[in-house]
Amino acid sequence: MSQNLRIALTKGRLQDKAVSLFEAMGLDCTPIKNPGRRLIHTIPNYPLDGVLAKAPDVITYVEHGVCDLGIAGKDTILEQGGAFYEVLDLGFGKCRFALAVKEGSDFYGTYKTRRIASKYPNVARAFFARKGMDVDIIKIEGSVELAPILGLADAIVDIVETGATLKENGLVPIETVAPVSARLIVNTASMKLRKAEIQDFIARCERELEKK
Amino acid sequence: MNYTVHTPEGTRDRLFAECRERRQVQRALTALFRRRSYAEIITPEVEFYDLFLQSGNPLPQEAMLKIIDRSGKIMVMRPDCTTPIARVAATKLRTLPLPQRLYYDQTVFRSGDAHRGGSSEIAQCGVELIGAAGKKADLEMVALAVDALKAAGLERFHVELGHVGFFRELTARVDMPAEAAEQMRSLIEGKNFAALNDLLEPYDGQPAVRPLRRLPYLFGGAEVLDEAETLSGGSDALDYLRDLYGELKHAGYGDHIRFDLGLVHQIDYYTGVVFRGYVEGAGDAVLSGGRYDKLVGAFGRPAQATGFAVDVDAVAACLPAAAPVRLEMLIHYGDGEFARALAVLDVREPGSCELSPCRALESTLSLAREKGASVVLVLENGGERLVEV
Repeated sequence: MSQNLRIALTKGRLQDKAVSLFEAMGLDCTPIKNPGRRLIHTIPNYPLDGVLAKAPDVITYVEHGVCDLGIAGKDTILEQGGAFYEVLDLGFGKCRFALAVKEGSDFYGTYKTRRIASKYPNVARAFFARKGMDVDIIKIEGSVELAPILGLADAIVDIVETGATLKENGLVPIETVAPVSARLIVNTASMKLRKAEIQDFIARCERELEKK
Repeated sequence: MNYTVHTPEGTRDRLFAECRERRQVQRALTALFRRRSYAEIITPEVEFYDLFLQSGNPLPQEAMLKIIDRSGKIMVMRPDCTTPIARVAATKLRTLPLPQRLYYDQTVFRSGDAHRGGSSEIAQCGVELIGAAGKKADLEMVALAVDALKAAGLERFHVELGHVGFFRELTARVDMPAEAAEQMRSLIEGKNFAALNDLLEPYDGQPAVRPLRRLPYLFGGAEVLDEAETLSGGSDALDYLRDLYGELKHAGYGDHIRFDLGLVHQIDYYTGVVFRGYVEGAGDAVLSGGRYDKLVGAFGRPAQATGFAVDVDAVAACLPAAAPVRLEMLIHYGDGEFARALAVLDVREPGSCELSPCRALESTLSLAREKGASVVLVLENGGERLVEV
């Protein structure tokens, strides 16, 4: 097949990091950096087309095979799940999911069913299921830190980078739920049907990552 | 939402081309299955929930659409065709000599995730070869899988073989807690190279870890069997696959055969050779099958078995769209001319000609204009004439 491989990149910070990685690999990323009105950006010196999408859509595109490859954060992968190959930890976009409570509160010292606020209800549910704990999970879209302060929840499960936002709001992380970083994902059928091209791309990424 | 005019999520009305394409694939597959002496089986659309809890059945309960009947029993809309067939083979067919060859052309129902674009009604055509083990049975099944995709009209496709025995042999050589082994299996299935490396690091001292680490990479042409051989120092499952491949190649199937030794899904259900069909244009496997030697026995009559199912609509979506038949002619017939009108209609290409229900010729002509027919055949008083629209 003569069509280029297609990769979906998560817009925003991960996009910039991905572009830096690609440029270090020698890919000319001018079309992605100056997208104009185009939606599909063809790399001039490598058989690759890029599209930019929100993180959950990256997974959807790859899962359905309309993109062969994708770069998405492990946070979105854990929350959304899906059937695809997760072939590479790209090492950037590092942070972690943590369980955080109000400073001084004893989260585990009670028999009461605890209520957890999170933007990532599936991640929170899986974490407590692994512990064998029944909890009430409440989905919050915006600033999750507010929920324990207002008394809506006993704890939150959220992404923590430096912990500064938590600290400002009188919350402390008490446990790591999962480490997070950007991942390269591959559609299952593409991996089989375009093995040589995809392996070449993965190998180039790996070589560049090893230099760091 | 107005529940009187919408269909439930995951279901859809199918019309015109979608129906033709689905039926075309079903006809091609079922004709092939019959030609290979498989007999059709139709099982109930509703079964007891308990049926699908047998023998490592991989379906999670949330994937099954449930109904509570009047007496309070839990029923499910058929989520899979193989389990009911295994039940039939072990019970109603128990006096028949084995092997039995059965095929089905049925819908399975799954409750998928909302808003993921998946379908809850999946049209499957598939076969089961019950009561036969060994290379000849696997050869027949894999060759049938290739022929099925070919018969459906596909050209650029692979059928990819794996063997759960290879993974089992390798894990048996490693000293590792069962929980870690299961985690390793799921990482191999997901080709999650990075996490697999992290997981295996504490076991690096053991030589059998090396082939496990490479397992997600061991897919492609027959050369992966050689690499696996070198890495593992030999294995019964590899020898079996190599032998099977030799026969397939000799019979002319080699071009469509690939391997994936990291095919380790549903490990409690499958017992031997597993395979999947991939087609250019489909984002996921369109054919899936393998050997399941424990399932029939769970219903009281041990019998080794293998089979596969084809996702009919996924295959249909990869075929070039057939041009729709255009309506060319309306037949306007007078009193006493119905038989003559039918005689004309029945010899025309289906879809190219329709009877007009109108009394007045004027109305038929305006109907013809509306429907885009170019000519009206008028049958009146024993005579006939063509009127251009």
